[in-house]
Amino acid sequence: MLLIVGPLAAGAAAAVAAKRSGRPTTRQRHVITVYRPLSELEVTQLPGSLKEIADRVEIRLAAAPGGRGTEIAVRIPDGSEVTDGEVRRALRETRSLLEAGDVLLPSGPPATTPTLLNRPLQTVTQHGREGGLL
Amino acid sequence: MKALQWQGVNKLAVGTVPDPELRNPGDIIVKVTKTVTCGSDLHLIGGYIPFMEKGDVLGHEFLGEVVEVGPDVRRHRVGDRVVVSSFISCGNCWYCDQRLFSLCDNGNTNPAITETLWGQAPSGCFGYSHAMGGNAGSHAEYIRVPFADVGAFTVPDGVSDERAIFASDSASTGWMGADLGGVQPGDVVAVWGAGAVGQMAARAAELLGADRVIVIDRLENRLAQVRQHTGAETLNYESDDIAGELRERSGGRGPDVCIEAVGMEAHSPGVQFGYDQLKQQLRLQTDRPVAVRDAIHAARKGGSVFVLGVYAGFVDKFPLGALMNKGLTVRGAQMHGQRYIPMLLERMAKGELVTEHLATHVMPLDDAPKGYKMFKEKEDGCVRALFVP
Ligand SMILES: NC(=O)c1ccc[n+]([C@@H]2O[C@H](COP(=O)([O-])OP(=O)(O)OC[C@H]3O[C@@H](n4cnc5c(N)ncnc54)[C@H](O)[C@@H]3O)[C@@H](O)[C@H]2O)c1
Ligand SMILES: [Zn+2]
Ligand SMILES: [Zn+2]
Repeated sequence: MLLIVGPLAAGAAAAVAAKRSGRPTTRQRHVITVYRPLSELEVTQLPGSLKEIADRVEIRLAAAPGGRGTEIAVRIPDGSEVTDGEVRRALRETRSLLEAGDVLLPSGPPATTPTLLNRPLQTVTQHGREGGLL
Repeated sequence: MKALQWQGVNKLAVGTVPDPELRNPGDIIVKVTKTVTCGSDLHLIGGYIPFMEKGDVLGHEFLGEVVEVGPDVRRHRVGDRVVVSSFISCGNCWYCDQRLFSLCDNGNTNPAITETLWGQAPSGCFGYSHAMGGNAGSHAEYIRVPFADVGAFTVPDGVSDERAIFASDSASTGWMGADLGGVQPGDVVAVWGAGAVGQMAARAAELLGADRVIVIDRLENRLAQVRQHTGAETLNYESDDIAGELRERSGGRGPDVCIEAVGMEAHSPGVQFGYDQLKQQLRLQTDRPVAVRDAIHAARKGGSVFVLGVYAGFVDKFPLGALMNKGLTVRGAQMHGQRYIPMLLERMAKGELVTEHLATHVMPLDDAPKGYKMFKEKEDGCVRALFVP
């Protein structure tokens, strides 16, 4: 029955694959838009996990068009050990801190039981903010 | 505490799980007093959305009493009776500011899955798989509600639990279909599906001034509810010529707004159904889009089609030619509950929006597996099974 959803499961698999390739990076640039005016932000004052990797990546800020806030662009320099998963997570967490004042944690304690079938999905969700296309 | 858990495809059981904890300072814990089935759950139970883990707690349409509040919560106190939006939104990102709450950037802890599938990630939802954040659902004695100042709403004293609970999801969804579908006074509106969502969409279209609202289904008991409680007209797709009737009832123009409230497990009496089911089983498409096809074909030139039914992936035989050449606007969304719930509660208090009849079967949470079976098989005229934990 699970086979019916092959194309969707493939999506999950892709997310897993993206996660597993924790090796130095295929994409060196990652950009996110934060709904805060450029005038309120400073590269050296960004909160959260972006601050933790700030000295190993290049960060640039630019005003987003149409009042959409500020674009935060991160470039991983050659030779930096920071992975693109770490950058994605940092950008997402920092955006949430700047916009919502907090980073949402998953519900807990968990109600699920680990099974063989669950394993690929759990691998993805344990690193939920590291994968994707960002 | 007791909770209804997904144990595998088509396997549900009531089990014991740990009580939820406050995790973020904006959280509240709600003691669930009523929680109800939704058509969306059927897609999870049937395995059409393959991001469930054994043990996940289902349920996203609910109401209850606040029993614990985090230090940052301002709008709620212990003892408040609240109804909660099924989607979780931060209230502060650009999408929330545009009142597109289900698109919130900060409400899903697992954005990777849906971003990979769809290009961008919508927000999280209660009890709706790990693709939607893996949040524990409401078919339990207690539930944690994040961003509670944004997503939980105090129910006015005059509104019963049985009425208010549907503001949580189905009434918000239906209202959104009519509102963002662009219903104007004088419009002819057709709604596919007479479940709770379709009925609420029909009622919303009337309250927004539609001249004629026509609801399509095959289940006579649901169509009878439509006639009695929403005042809309009905058509049965097993006995009526839907395309012909819609054309006739709209003076040959076609409905101005078509609202699809059926979803990826749509049924149809003709060859289309066998075709779609087979393709779904062969993994050549993930969803059965029968009602969307019909809606696009029926809509008037320059009209709009709003897709409320849940789809997960790809469909086949999508009538792109009709869409393009007729100049249609096609939109869809997961529901923006926070945008509509306060207004819906006011209308419920005034008696404009009546929903109690939707909860055809009320039972203790212990009987939830039986309730879902009745809901899925539409046994005994079940429209929604409502559980009391
Ligand atoms: N967009 C959202 O945020 C949102 C929220 C809630 C529910 N939903 C979705 O809305 C849909 C309806 O939800 P519900 O709770 O009312 O479900 P439901 O299963 O109770 O109702 C669906 C109805 O559609 C009818 N139907 C099936 N095939 C049809 C066809 N070809 N033409 C006309 N009617 C047909 C069924 O007989 C049934 O009465 C589901 O797909 C659900 O996932 C979406
Ligand atoms: Zn729902
Ligand atoms: Zn938001």
